[in-house]
Amino acid sequence: MTDVVDTKRAKSQAAGPYGKVGQVLNELDDRLGVAKGGRSFMDKIFPDHWSFMLGEIALYSFVILLVTGVFLTLYYIPSTALVTYHGSYLPLDGQRVTEAYASSVNLSFAVRAGLLMRQMHHWSCDIFVGAMVVHMARVFFTGAFRKPRELNWTIGTTLLILAIGNGFLGYSLPDDLVSGTGIRIAFSILESIPFVGSYLAFFLFGGNYPGATIIPRFYILHVLIVPAIIVGLVGAHLFLLVRQKHTQFPGKGRTENNVVGTPMFPVFMAKTTGFLFIVAGVTALLGAFAQINPIWQFGPYEASRISYAVQPDFYMGFLDGALRIWPSWSFHSFGYTIPLEVFIPSVVLPGLLFNIAYLWPALERKFTNDHAMHNLLDRPSNRPKRTAAGVAVLALMSTLFIASSTDVIANFFRLPLNEVLWGMRFFVILSPFVAYPLAWKICKELQAVQGGGKRKTTNVVTRTAEGEYIATPAPVYVDDVHAELDATPVPDFVVDEPEQAGESGVRTVER
Amino acid sequence: MLSIVSMFAMGPILLFVGSAGASAHTAYQTTRKNAGTPKASNVTIDPKTGVVISYGNSAITYNVPPSSLVTLGRALFLQNCASCHGTEANGVPVNGTSGAYPNLVGVGPATIDFWIDSGRMPAADPRAVEANRRVARLDAKQALAIAAWVNSLDPSYPDIPTPHLKHANLSDGAALFALNCAACHTIEGDGDALAQGTFAPSLRNIPAFQVVEAIRTGPGNMPRFTGNLSDKQVRDIVGYVTTEIQHPQNPGGFGLGGLGPVAEGFVGLLIGVGLLALVGFWVGERQ
Repeated sequence: MTDVVDTKRAKSQAAGPYGKVGQVLNELDDRLGVAKGGRSFMDKIFPDHWSFMLGEIALYSFVILLVTGVFLTLYYIPSTALVTYHGSYLPLDGQRVTEAYASSVNLSFAVRAGLLMRQMHHWSCDIFVGAMVVHMARVFFTGAFRKPRELNWTIGTTLLILAIGNGFLGYSLPDDLVSGTGIRIAFSILESIPFVGSYLAFFLFGGNYPGATIIPRFYILHVLIVPAIIVGLVGAHLFLLVRQKHTQFPGKGRTENNVVGTPMFPVFMAKTTGFLFIVAGVTALLGAFAQINPIWQFGPYEASRISYAVQPDFYMGFLDGALRIWPSWSFHSFGYTIPLEVFIPSVVLPGLLFNIAYLWPALERKFTNDHAMHNLLDRPSNRPKRTAAGVAVLALMSTLFIASSTDVIANFFRLPLNEVLWGMRFFVILSPFVAYPLAWKICKELQAVQGGGKRKTTNVVTRTAEGEYIATPAPVYVDDVHAELDATPVPDFVVDEPEQAGESGVRTVER
Repeated sequence: MLSIVSMFAMGPILLFVGSAGASAHTAYQTTRKNAGTPKASNVTIDPKTGVVISYGNSAITYNVPPSSLVTLGRALFLQNCASCHGTEANGVPVNGTSGAYPNLVGVGPATIDFWIDSGRMPAADPRAVEANRRVARLDAKQALAIAAWVNSLDPSYPDIPTPHLKHANLSDGAALFALNCAACHTIEGDGDALAQGTFAPSLRNIPAFQVVEAIRTGPGNMPRFTGNLSDKQVRDIVGYVTTEIQHPQNPGGFGLGGLGPVAEGFVGLLIGVGLLALVGFWVGERQ
């Protein structure tokens, strides 16, 4: 008996203080050399500010998009061949529809959990793009794009464009009446480009509209090519984030040369994994309880059919709005027609907006002559011009988005459509010019506020028996520890970076 | 020979027809003139008086308003309609000029019935570009009586329809709806604003016979569908409208009012991104 016990003890002693796990990791390290990189990755410090979670929403929606998207590819048939629909949705029974449409309806009705997956895919797409926009706004308004992070800003902007484009491609795949109208508009937009437009459009569509090749082509772009680029760029985005370390808001103990926050392992890892599940949970709830894109109600697309009040998904809304309100200008001469009323709002305008986004870090460097490294974030009100410019662009985009529902507004408020259209033209043009000075003024006013941007301390007001009121500062709450963000001692398990750590897990490392 | 030429000329149209099912094919045959009018083969005649009381087929029966209501109809017309349409229903009010208001003589009972029964007439504001649907001021019998009197001035068609929806083919109805109706009423039947001051009304809450009346008579901006839609096709459309448009199947959850991507965008941004940002706010540090 004693021999057995001794053997066990001997084995556990041989395994070292970390037991079998440690042994396995040792074996791995011997072969792959993971210890050094793994340690520095596990020690990666994440600032805790809530606005840093916005990008994570986008990241995790993308994960959900990939998972649900793989499910959808198992049942979707990317073909425009005509078949006769005989499925469980009776109002389509016996109609000649494309295989793409029939398979989309079938995967909604005949595949177990198919509709849930389709709806989750669509909802997480809306969340993906929406979260990217909010994340981009956070990065912009706090100045996180400044040197040395310009490249990551560029990658992020590219990701947004790719996400919008891939969203449009996916929206087109079911080949229903509404999305078919969108494809038609896309074809016309391509055609409107001077000189090369017709060639580009025919190249993409493999001939004239609608043709039989557009669905398979969009499919391979949507499920392989664009997602592959997105995955690559997301990897680069995250690699740069780890490599350059996070920015942080200024505060006690936080400088340009350190990062204060929680380490990747175990605090942030637990937090972010939980957040992944919350994102998945919210998406699943939306997919289960809120219907999105009911293609069976729209019917199959035919080039000769059209529905009024067709709108794209929200992230394409600003383009639709611009197309709607642009005056009907066009150029006819020298045997050419250039439809400026399509070309300017749908090609020039987004081109301009995204190019400004790409160039913004360089523009700001040029105009402010600020070439320094910036790891501390700006409070938006301390940068009134930048903040006002961002607000103006957001105002322009929002009013363009509202302009994409001129007909809905006219119908809902019983206003004449033409007057709504004209009203929208003024509204869109004026909005940035109103938003800029307004935002600038608000920033200036906020700057003047004493102690602005700092957490206010609570006062406890007590009344004495005589009726006198006395205000005394409240004691610090337990979860207020982060408020001061003192650099505190490193937890035990990190032995080689002893400087400044704390019980709360908040600590500081040198860059 | 003619058919071969037309096949080339109508290539895109035939492309549609080929995929919309066999019965939709007949939508483009304009040989049936004046659907909704009586033919020798489909008329029911009162054996005592020898007057036509109804006509039609197994899809739609058109009922002629009874002549017994003419006297009541004239009295109601003078009370409710004559201030604009004139005492002779010719659109010329007393001391007025002709052409200012619609001439109702010879429009057929279905037109009169539709405008009164949908509450659009008597008009709330006679100068408005478009009369809106309201709770009807006159009841069904009174509408029928007015239709009977106006029709007695110059008997015309179509008469008041009763669609028989039991055997309506929803699939054909859906295809025909997408082709003929969705361009204004939207594919979900919500209706929308058209040109200056005019609207395609929502179809969500409209009785079946009024849908037939609208299709056959073309009220307001709406085109009048007679030759290109048979009674059976109209019945199929009405069957689709009264089932799938008015009671859409929403297996995916809450239907978001059929408003499509606008409502979806708001839900996605406010509930999706908004809720998750709040969770982030909860999880993260607030300063």
